[in-house]
Amino acid sequence: MSFVDSLLAGLSLVGNFESFLALAIGVAIGVIGGAIPGLSATMAVALTLPFTFTMQPITGILLLLGVYKGGIFGGSIPAILIKTPGTPASSATVLDGYPLAEKGQAGKALGMALWASCTADVISNLSLILFAGWLASFALSFGPPEFFTLILFSLTIIAGVSGESLLRGALSAMLGLLLATIGLDLVYGTNRFTFGDPNMMGGLNFIAVLIGLFAIPEILAMVWNPRSHEGTTRIIGKNWVTFSEYKKSFKSIVRGSFIGVFLGSIPGIGAAPSAFLSYSEARRTSKNKENFGKGEIEGVAAAEAGNNGVAGATLIPLLALGVPGDVITAIIIGAFMIHGLQPGPMMFVLNVDIIYGLFIGLIVSSVFLFLLGSVAIRGFKYVADIPRGVLFPAVLILCVYGVFAVNNNIFDVGVMFAMGWVGFAMLRYRIPAAPFLIAFILGPLLEDNFRQAMLMSGSSPAILFRGPITWFFWAVTAITVVAIVHTGIRATRKGLDQHKENEE
Amino acid sequence: MKKLKLAMLGAAVLGFTATTALADDYPQRPINMVIPYGAGGATDISARTIAEPLGNAVGKPLIMANVTGAGGATGSVAVQNAKGDGYTMLFARVGSHSVNPAMKATLPYTLDDFRFVTVYEINPVACAVRVDSGIDSMEDLVAKVNEGGVSYSSSGVGSLLHLAAVMVLKEFGVENPLEKATHIPQKGGGAAATAVLNGTAAFLCTNSSALASFVSNGQLKPILVTTAEPVAGFDAPTAADLGKPALHQLVGWTGIAGPDDLPDEVAKKWGDWMATATQDEKFRSTMEARGSIIELMNPEDANVFIQGQYNTFRKLVDELGMRIEG
Repeated sequence: MSFVDSLLAGLSLVGNFESFLALAIGVAIGVIGGAIPGLSATMAVALTLPFTFTMQPITGILLLLGVYKGGIFGGSIPAILIKTPGTPASSATVLDGYPLAEKGQAGKALGMALWASCTADVISNLSLILFAGWLASFALSFGPPEFFTLILFSLTIIAGVSGESLLRGALSAMLGLLLATIGLDLVYGTNRFTFGDPNMMGGLNFIAVLIGLFAIPEILAMVWNPRSHEGTTRIIGKNWVTFSEYKKSFKSIVRGSFIGVFLGSIPGIGAAPSAFLSYSEARRTSKNKENFGKGEIEGVAAAEAGNNGVAGATLIPLLALGVPGDVITAIIIGAFMIHGLQPGPMMFVLNVDIIYGLFIGLIVSSVFLFLLGSVAIRGFKYVADIPRGVLFPAVLILCVYGVFAVNNNIFDVGVMFAMGWVGFAMLRYRIPAAPFLIAFILGPLLEDNFRQAMLMSGSSPAILFRGPITWFFWAVTAITVVAIVHTGIRATRKGLDQHKENEE
Repeated sequence: MKKLKLAMLGAAVLGFTATTALADDYPQRPINMVIPYGAGGATDISARTIAEPLGNAVGKPLIMANVTGAGGATGSVAVQNAKGDGYTMLFARVGSHSVNPAMKATLPYTLDDFRFVTVYEINPVACAVRVDSGIDSMEDLVAKVNEGGVSYSSSGVGSLLHLAAVMVLKEFGVENPLEKATHIPQKGGGAAATAVLNGTAAFLCTNSSALASFVSNGQLKPILVTTAEPVAGFDAPTAADLGKPALHQLVGWTGIAGPDDLPDEVAKKWGDWMATATQDEKFRSTMEARGSIIELMNPEDANVFIQGQYNTFRKLVDELGMRIEG
């Protein structure tokens, strides 16, 4: 079959009302699900899965993909408006999105999040269609040693999101690494820090930690001092993102999209690290570095491009190799299985119509995301106008409900509140929460891949330098660390000079 | 005194009728069904496929909830601690209810904490290697293992995949498989297959349904299936062909269990419901398309089957010193 034939076969498969309706409904479910704190994109996809069992394969899969893409964008809405990432991937969006909302520019931040998400989505989908084969073979050259060096490099992001004090950032990261060790040991299967409680055996629930760290401290702060916000207005106003702002951030958006595509095509990383990496790269190369973390629109753009760039790319390992790219595609692969489809290289031969149908559907999904996202922003942005006395109790209820629903376990709600107090203490002592989160996500990956690499080589560290990919990541890690130390020394000197001047 | 006796008799009668009424009217409300593994996995798909015909047979809604973590232990504990009234039931799986109890001393439950009402699905286990690995048969694999440097992947310590690889090597004459071959645990079954694809590990043994897509896509090559009958789509000798009937015990399964104090009447009702549900055409065709064998066991047979498998695994674990303490 020629390319045109395949394309037409695909078109005939999706070129009906049902498919487009499924896609639109999917995006809508995703945006709403992502926007509810606690009900992450993963949850939204998991809840939708059983409904697809009775549908046509392509319709069901398109529905799930719609939920996936909508959810990853939808997570940015509460991240910007109420400092609560709706889905782990939008944690990086909080860093600049929430300060913008505080300044009364929530509309602008949301608009930029949408534009960046849709741009990244298009780039990600095109990469899937054009480079799936090439990227898949690239992904297969990632064994534990390559992973280890990549994660090691990613940990340098911590310096970029530590804010004013690297020491406080490092402290926060240490705490994150420590809590990430709870659960079963990967290699020996023994319990670590579970204190005999079966609830701890699976480790701390990620969503519970996330919500506890970001949303609960804000609520506690309000209870602590209910009148602190009086006098500051949080009106959205008419400000909407302008084209010139989009153009200014365009470079960061494209860079973020490609970071998303690369990390997404490697199975097992997911969208959150990609968003953070994109954010820290944008900050590193930006002229107004100081403004990052205080309400820089480019920061929102980079973070959202980074997480949506992953959404199309995680389908690369799924379709080309038959292995899920992240937690969400692991659920979607279930939908393939239930319909007797076997994702992998042969699918491009046996079910080429479905493959092309998916491609067409994905392209259309970016358009739906833009349209439905605009509608959602118009609806949700009034959340910023709701008085805090009404908004925060409602958020608290949603958080409790959402965290419970992840695993139907009341223990997780306890984890959320405990982490809420930790987050509150961190807030009061100006310890940034982002490094904690990055360490909590990357710590286990770093450890597992290191230990797997050691098992492979019989404990010889030489395996960590086994090929060009590892050399590349060792080199960029070294460069970044040198740069961090250099900036650190310069900042200290500047501080000392200023100190002297003040004394004189 | 007479009054008291009468009252006692009355209470006894009432109590008696109350208990029978409980079982007679069961179920009066929706039943919570705990799936101890994540959405989209083998257990989840199996559970959700049986949910519809089973719900029809029960006559009350079944509320499906994924309670995941710790290789199925978190969800299993939730049911272990539930009331034995039949309103909280568990989709038990080979990993959570025969491999894990056999391997982990630290597990918060034992097999005795559950009452199995059925096993309805059997999944053959297959071993596979990469197509370009140069290994064509079990003989080749064993020869390579004896040379040293061969590794296998699994979805974690104490998973079916972990035990299966060790058991297969042992059966094929590798004296100490723990020392001869290296276990490289991964997080999840998908990651375990990826590890063989990208050369991190040399082989894996897992449910045929998890391997089917890789085999039909020509990425992995099956070298053994553990059943007596050949598995469709797997061009590999069976354990019977190779004269290793002991490996027939090595199969995956899905069943339903309640807490250990589940009343007999309730267990019996589940047996009847399952007999109806598994007759459903759509259920059968969906499951069989995925390579499962529908084999309905009544409560007694299910217990015998699971105990038998547990004992086999336990013996192997003790023999090799694989048990995880602490």
